[in-house]
Amino acid sequence: MIGVLRSLTATMATMMRKPVTIEYPSKHRKVPERDRAFPILLWDFEVDEPFCTGCHACERACPVECMTVTMKDNPKHAEGKSKRRKILDEFYIDYGRCMRCNICVEVCNFDAIAMNNTWTGHELSSVDRKDLVMDREQLLALSKSKQIRPWVPS
Amino acid sequence: MALLLWGIFGVDMNVWLDAFLRLQIVVIVMTVTVMGLIYIERKFVGRIQMRLGPMRTGPYGTLQSIADALKLLTKEDIRPATADFWLFELAPYVTFVPVFMTLLVLPFMEGWFVRDLQLGLFYIVAISGVTVIGYLMAGWASDNKYALLGAVRSAAQLISYELPLVLGVLAVSMVAGSLNLNDIVIQQDTVPNLVLQPLPFLILLTAVLAELSRRPFDIPIGESELVGGPWVEYSGIRWSIIFALTEYAGLWAFSIIGALVFLGGWEWPFGTRDFWGDFDFVYQLVLVFSKSFLLILTMMWISATFPRLRIDQLMAFCWKILLPFGFLQVIINGIVLTYVEDSETARDIVLFLTSGALVVAMAYVIYLATRQPSREERVGAALAARSAQ
Amino acid sequence: MAIDPETQVEREFETQDLFVNIGPQHPATHGVFRMVIEVDGEVVRDVVPHIGYMHRGGEKLSEHMDYRQAIGYQDRTEYLSQFNAELCYVLAVEKLAGLAPPERAEYIRIILTELNRVSSHFMFLGAFGTDLGVFGTSFTYAFREREHILDLFEEVSGDRLMYAYFRPGGVAWDVPRDFKERVEWVCKQALIGADDMDKLLTDNEIFIARTRNIGKLSIEDAIDYGVTGPMLRASGMKFDLRRDEPYSIYDRFDFDIPVGTNGDCYDRYLVRLAEIRESIRIVRQAVAQMPDEGPILPERMPRMLRPAAGEVYMRCEDPRGEYGLYIVSKGATQPYRCRIRSPSFCNLSALKHMTVGHFVADAVTILGATDIVLCSVDR
Repeated sequence: MIGVLRSLTATMATMMRKPVTIEYPSKHRKVPERDRAFPILLWDFEVDEPFCTGCHACERACPVECMTVTMKDNPKHAEGKSKRRKILDEFYIDYGRCMRCNICVEVCNFDAIAMNNTWTGHELSSVDRKDLVMDREQLLALSKSKQIRPWVPS
Repeated sequence: MALLLWGIFGVDMNVWLDAFLRLQIVVIVMTVTVMGLIYIERKFVGRIQMRLGPMRTGPYGTLQSIADALKLLTKEDIRPATADFWLFELAPYVTFVPVFMTLLVLPFMEGWFVRDLQLGLFYIVAISGVTVIGYLMAGWASDNKYALLGAVRSAAQLISYELPLVLGVLAVSMVAGSLNLNDIVIQQDTVPNLVLQPLPFLILLTAVLAELSRRPFDIPIGESELVGGPWVEYSGIRWSIIFALTEYAGLWAFSIIGALVFLGGWEWPFGTRDFWGDFDFVYQLVLVFSKSFLLILTMMWISATFPRLRIDQLMAFCWKILLPFGFLQVIINGIVLTYVEDSETARDIVLFLTSGALVVAMAYVIYLATRQPSREERVGAALAARSAQ
Repeated sequence: MAIDPETQVEREFETQDLFVNIGPQHPATHGVFRMVIEVDGEVVRDVVPHIGYMHRGGEKLSEHMDYRQAIGYQDRTEYLSQFNAELCYVLAVEKLAGLAPPERAEYIRIILTELNRVSSHFMFLGAFGTDLGVFGTSFTYAFREREHILDLFEEVSGDRLMYAYFRPGGVAWDVPRDFKERVEWVCKQALIGADDMDKLLTDNEIFIARTRNIGKLSIEDAIDYGVTGPMLRASGMKFDLRRDEPYSIYDRFDFDIPVGTNGDCYDRYLVRLAEIRESIRIVRQAVAQMPDEGPILPERMPRMLRPAAGEVYMRCEDPRGEYGLYIVSKGATQPYRCRIRSPSFCNLSALKHMTVGHFVADAVTILGATDIVLCSVDR
């Protein structure tokens, strides 16, 4: 009998505690700086072009082969405005295949790709799987809006 | 008080019309209470589990029950093609109607009930036994192996636990000298029956949990294994009749019975003194409802805390522990009531002592049955450095 | 015995055993696992488990990934004790390649691995209570503590469940500055949570009646079936790979090995509850000993790891038992064969032996106490 009463006092004790629920979606928990959602591309504001040169390093390193990258000659380099000889032409990431392992961020020589560490990276549900294939503009959008500080491991 | 309520209709009313109107009031109060209880259970159990419960439908989730009811009403009515049509359709009603009928003899205030039966308690126990048939009908008619297993288990459980229920109320009616609920409440004006008869109170609490198939006795609707038990094929409004209406109406009905029979109803502690004249019924209602609310919270608390008992442990607990002690209580009550004739206080004290002694004895027997080595020995043995293997 | 009224001959009742299918979609089977139980009344006569619903060809996939990419796969095999699986993998590759991780990386790895053991045991406690019928209370208590631990893991590695944080040779990047304070706070909360579960379940007579003497496994039978981990320790054998074959830096810590006496489900529960406390002890010692500064990868770390040709079998103490990895390398960047010895798979082989003779309700209890992880069983 005593053990049974002990259980009852345990639940009585927890009833007095503050509930731990955070009422999503009206309130959002703060995500830490290193939170890994999905990869996004970074925009170089000084030269007004993406950091990415299309070197295929991340595409080769990806375990699930979710990226497609093409590069082109950089018109700004011919004009002398940028140091990058080649620049990104098209970049597709299939968010449905990405396993968020961070390897693309690690191997990038130009720190051009980073993981989205905001809530928008987690709220990506869509009705059609094709909508999850992100193209270059969608990947650059968040960085262009200057709203995030992405974390790249040193 | 009757004048106040029926004043517009006149005092002299047709008996049938009077009964019909009272019935309507009970139905409305029951429906509102059931919806409120569903909401309260979800919030209360949520608090026990350190979470919030419903919050989004209406302010603080108060409209959740209504939303659930609307959803269940608009659901598709699924019936297995090979199910026995009439048994399948009628089973939920056979389960619910007896529970509702127990509400007909309960005095919610002094002298207010749908029908005043001299055999009040006996009628309650007898009619709540009919729900077993509903379970069996559902289990058989569903044409489902799991449903049949669940129905057979639940039939065994419900029939077994009626006996402690009967013995509990029998012990109390011996003390009160009557089976009429009104008389039992009136007789508690100095001290509630909980003090005089703690053992029947505990037996009643356990038996009510078992009759309603609530944890820790919910092996028929064991959610972890035979999900749903005999009601696994039901959906929509029929499902809600069982799980919402029957369970919560039963919970409310039995807690009102517990409040009236054990906690003193509207009589204790204020008695039938005229506080507010004609408005006495207000505080009587408040007393009865708050006492029953306390019992409901206790039962919800117990339900949220304990694991469920296996079917053989359930049966062993009923037949080997509750039943013998119930019988002992009845016998001792008889002896005390016959031979202790000095004064009412002396009788009360002797009853309290004997019943309390039986509670202690039952706790000891349970301890013997589940005896374990002491906590230190158990945990110490787990951590003790044994010789290297 | 019934007497046939026509021929007046005694004839036994002919009964047929009932086959109850506790199917792949079920709240109590911890994943897509199917048990077909042959039941005589309420007593179980035979149990046939059906597995393979979650087979994804993981070992074959690992043969096409190099040693850094395959770490993500180890997470997904043991999805409740990810760091343990990752640790086993990186230790195996370090053995093959001859890498020596620096001190700070070793301590970080041990701290995270032991905290992962704590969170996995909390998941067991929560799910076990739910199997027994404690509607949600044990589950929410357990998950509250898991949330603290998972928040810490998110701050360190970025993800809440699939970390991919260890690398052969160390860890991928350094921990945040307030790591030690956060770990200490998490330890404190975890002990409060363990005490809550203790008060809720351990002394509860109903819980004891449901788990005592259920699913007994003797030491000889356990060794015959290849059962390891807390189940073996609950049966009475004091065998823990962290003490008997110390890997990484476990020989620097002082901890006890909880052992049961009876081999039943109650002892398994007690052993896992005690292991939570022992793991917190290890974490606290590691935090005290960890150097504040230091490299986290060896100095001369090749960009693409090409271990020498050879084979290695590395085994670690997973919260479920012995997690083993057999890696064969032919000198390329990808392994030739990567074979996982899964603890849940071997523990599950004893299911029939433990369940026959008990009731149907106990079958669910025993399955819960075995604490399987389906992705590990099916890979």
